[in-house]
Amino acid sequence: MRKERIDRGLKVRTEGIYAINSAREILYLMGPRLLLIAGLLALPFVFEFAPYWKRVINIMCAYALLAIAFDFLANYVGLVCLGGAFFTGIGGYFAAIYNVNLGLPIYLSIPLATVSGALLCTFFLLPCLPLRGVYFAIVTLMYPLLFTRIIEALDIFGGTNGITGLDSFPNPYLEHYAIIIIALVFLFGMRRFVNQDVGLVLRGVKDNDQSVKASGINVTRMRIIAVFVASFIGCFAGAYIAHLYMWAGISLFALDFSIIPIASVVIGGGGTLVGAAIGAFILVPLSEILRAFGTFRIVIYCIVLTGFIVFKSEGIMIYLQRKYHQFERWVKV
Amino acid sequence: MFEAFELMVFYENMIALNNVSITCDEGKIIGIFGSNSAGKSTLMYAVSGIILDIKRKEEMRGGERISVFGRVFFDGRDMTAVKPHNRAKAGIVLCPERRRIFPESSVLENLKIGSYLTSSREAKQNLEYVLDLFPRLKDHLKRQGGFLSGGEQQMLAIGRALMASPKVLLLDEPLLGLSPAYQEIVINGTKAIRDSKGISIIVTEQYARPVMPIIDYGYILENGSSVLMGTKEELLDNPDVKSAYFGV
Repeated sequence: MRKERIDRGLKVRTEGIYAINSAREILYLMGPRLLLIAGLLALPFVFEFAPYWKRVINIMCAYALLAIAFDFLANYVGLVCLGGAFFTGIGGYFAAIYNVNLGLPIYLSIPLATVSGALLCTFFLLPCLPLRGVYFAIVTLMYPLLFTRIIEALDIFGGTNGITGLDSFPNPYLEHYAIIIIALVFLFGMRRFVNQDVGLVLRGVKDNDQSVKASGINVTRMRIIAVFVASFIGCFAGAYIAHLYMWAGISLFALDFSIIPIASVVIGGGGTLVGAAIGAFILVPLSEILRAFGTFRIVIYCIVLTGFIVFKSEGIMIYLQRKYHQFERWVKV
Repeated sequence: MFEAFELMVFYENMIALNNVSITCDEGKIIGIFGSNSAGKSTLMYAVSGIILDIKRKEEMRGGERISVFGRVFFDGRDMTAVKPHNRAKAGIVLCPERRRIFPESSVLENLKIGSYLTSSREAKQNLEYVLDLFPRLKDHLKRQGGFLSGGEQQMLAIGRALMASPKVLLLDEPLLGLSPAYQEIVINGTKAIRDSKGISIIVTEQYARPVMPIIDYGYILENGSSVLMGTKEELLDNPDVKSAYFGV
């Protein structure tokens, strides 16, 4: 006897876009996506009377963005980025400089900080892009520490106090929906991006960069594009967080911004992008709930993570996708 | 002495090995021939136990489900559920396809890694034996494995497998990408291993002509099933075999 996995008939029929001919099939395709979109959009209303948790929604979405960036770099380009904090820090400080020092309004400072932050991050990461291996991971891990110390030592950008007095969002709903909608846009945008020609080449770079070079493609240039896209997402998250807290300080370079996204990808399932976001939606609220346990929360957190790696190392999303698209039955061999 | 009984391997729903049974008596050379996708490598993985490792890794990753059926017996022991490293300890040693030598270790180090299971005296004897068998390796002992030519790498891979003092040696496509001259060296070496040490050898190959002279018994795989078996003479007389595997 052998357990057999078979694609559902519905999946086979709906795979080709022309075969869709009933509401049920459209629902099968759209259902999970709509559920995610509607669920996220409804969150601020669900927590209408729990203002503390409404703040958590914002942070959760910011972490989801960082997790998407990590997942993209690690599983589609083959660059392990341990420096989510580098992106948030640069993005946050840029937003603060634009907003406080140059007096730009919030709807200009965030986009400008995102773009200039992404450029600066890409520039700093340039030297380690032609290489394979562990160099990129080490450099991305070191940069946040380096920038923290520089800001402390030279006492620039407000030193240890940081830059205060950033504009807040004009109203709380804008605050929630700005990040929720942007997170959804980036999520679905990235899913599309990795299946474009550029995305295909990037996946090739991950699998075998020599073969890609042999096809006449400049690998370093492709990696630059990838790092720019990822740091773009990360810097947006940083700029948003800075405006959310109305403050940009060295805690934007904190290790949390590097570690939690990685954990989210592990839990959600690497290489799915959605899984990364869902992992963040689980981990960030979990760590808030565990706050009640004080320092003991790290222990619980670690146990949850280890449990996931041992028992469901494929990740939630890959497991769910399989259950959704396939059924199992016993067959005789 | 060595017997694989009704082996059946599924990669998800695709059947890679269908009811294949092979036996190998002591001191015999068994040839397994088949085109690409015939299931030769899967057979080698199933026999050496590597398939159990691949299966576990795929499970962890949420990838393909691999189902393995059938039994493997060796020296009267049931090896079906035995892990690959314990199979190697028992004497079933695989020399994998595409050599898989350790490119950043020197030739001598590669050989030493192979002798991890044996006593130091046995390792010394094995080392001398391997260097006698493939004298070309002697000139490159200090060189990194990755810088050897393809043929030398193949000799090194076989040598590494021999260092573990195997009782059954599994050679997966040892002639892959070798020039005719090197093919001859490897084939003669294979025969010499059997003749001098009495090690049973199972060798897979796509192109039967160079291997055919040294085998005692052969199997022909097609799409995962064993379609034909017989002694060297029986296989050579078969017109289908001639056209498919000798290009006559």
